[in-house]
Amino acid sequence: MRAVRAPAHPGRVAILQADLLAKRFGPVTAVEEVSLTVAEGEIAGLLGPNGAGKSTTLHMLLGLVTPDSGRIRIFGLDLERHRTEVLNQVNFSASYLGLPGVLQVREVLDAFARLYGLRRPAGRVAEVVELLELGPLLRRKVIDLSSGQQTRVQLAKALLNRPRLLILDEPTAALDPDAGDRIRSLLVGVAREWGGAMLITSHNMREVERMCDRIHFMSGGRIIATGTAAELAGLFGVADLEEVFLKVARQ
Amino acid sequence: MTTTAFPPLSAAARRRRIGGVVRRDLAALRRSPVRIFEIVFWPTVELVVWGFVTVYLRAGDVPFIVSTLLGAVLLWQILHRASNEVSMGFLEDIWSRNLLNMHVTPLTAAEYLSGLVVFSLTKVVFSVAVMGTLAYVLYGFGILTVGVALVPFMAVLLVLGWALAIAAISCVLRFGEGAQVIAWSLVFVFQPIAGVFYPVSVLPSGLQVVASFVPATHVFQGMRDVLAGSPIPWDRMAAAAALDVVYVALALALYTVTLRHARAKGRLSRFGE
Repeated sequence: MRAVRAPAHPGRVAILQADLLAKRFGPVTAVEEVSLTVAEGEIAGLLGPNGAGKSTTLHMLLGLVTPDSGRIRIFGLDLERHRTEVLNQVNFSASYLGLPGVLQVREVLDAFARLYGLRRPAGRVAEVVELLELGPLLRRKVIDLSSGQQTRVQLAKALLNRPRLLILDEPTAALDPDAGDRIRSLLVGVAREWGGAMLITSHNMREVERMCDRIHFMSGGRIIATGTAAELAGLFGVADLEEVFLKVARQ
Repeated sequence: MTTTAFPPLSAAARRRRIGGVVRRDLAALRRSPVRIFEIVFWPTVELVVWGFVTVYLRAGDVPFIVSTLLGAVLLWQILHRASNEVSMGFLEDIWSRNLLNMHVTPLTAAEYLSGLVVFSLTKVVFSVAVMGTLAYVLYGFGILTVGVALVPFMAVLLVLGWALAIAAISCVLRFGEGAQVIAWSLVFVFQPIAGVFYPVSVLPSGLQVVASFVPATHVFQGMRDVLAGSPIPWDRMAAAAALDVVYVALALALYTVTLRHARAKGRLSRFGE
């Protein structure tokens, strides 16, 4: 399959730059020759069928998995050598992560505000609580929340440090359509207001079309195409992103 | 963008992050009556059992036995709690699928472990206070009769417990959740060797050599010496402290290597699944 490379936002600073990342787990090649950039203010999508290498790529970008080869620079800093400085300005949320169940929501957010070294944890916690409408849940234990409510708490956690780079792995997977729609609007608004960058994986093609400025399509551990939703549909000769996905997944 | 945060490498940021770990664990303790109950329950059970054993032996007119056994129980709890509480803090991150959240914060490995250690200290202090009070009320044994030697004894055992916990955490990182039994049991490997309840002279000669390389051995023998009226064996304490340094260095090296290995093999990611 032919790969296209749409240029990164010209004139914008690259927040994230990954060059030729590769990762093998025993005989399995999870990621191969993955290069991508995310520019300041950009919302980028990372799409692909299950096993395409999306989560491994995200985990390499977060320092959870060490690449076998390749280089990751975030804010111009080498991730491996400047881990603390980089992660101070990055955050992450994923549908498969949990939070300490016995803690109340306010205690979770307070702890993470401190883990990100915030000067005034209480003030920032109040801001994200308002942003994600968590006020009524503040004194409830995480374990007692619905999965949708827990997702909102995870997202609040992910916004605590006003990240310059926010990485989201299927952020709205556990939300109903209404809640998902509101969260998408909120995330787009946050990205536009703060000027930070976002990198998102999702299996919800409408979500990706609506949110992402640019999409990196992965299959078999490689990025096989990059472009806007319309560009990718045109490249694959189909009507929309959903059909692109189906075509790649079934090949 | 992040002007609301302390510079990430500043001392203030490091203190804030360690404080975050401690506050989180304290909040978890407050919200979990079972964990508070546990602090009191096991030490009390041990104390009561050994207390009655010593009452029985006292009836047989065995000198020093009451104080040495109860002292051993109390000091053993320091080692046991110090080790288990640090391991527990780490395992709770795994059980709640929160470990990845912790590893994507700017928290360094040293800060994370420091937070767990500081939190464990608060629980150990509380636990020992409960046991010390019970020992006095039930059996008339005051832990303070050990005198000033209590300070180095406790310090050596605390540090050893933390080193064992870090080693146990490393095993879980290396071998996965199935290895969590190591987190509970590693400290018990040292119980028979360190001569907690008896002098190491009763051990086979080969084990006596092994015991001499265990910091706790010197503490428990030192305690028996002090309770028998001898002066504090500072030479033993110095040896124990030096061994502690070696144990901590080895544990930290093991943790560093296993964390690097977990990242390289993708094992860290699997703790989020």
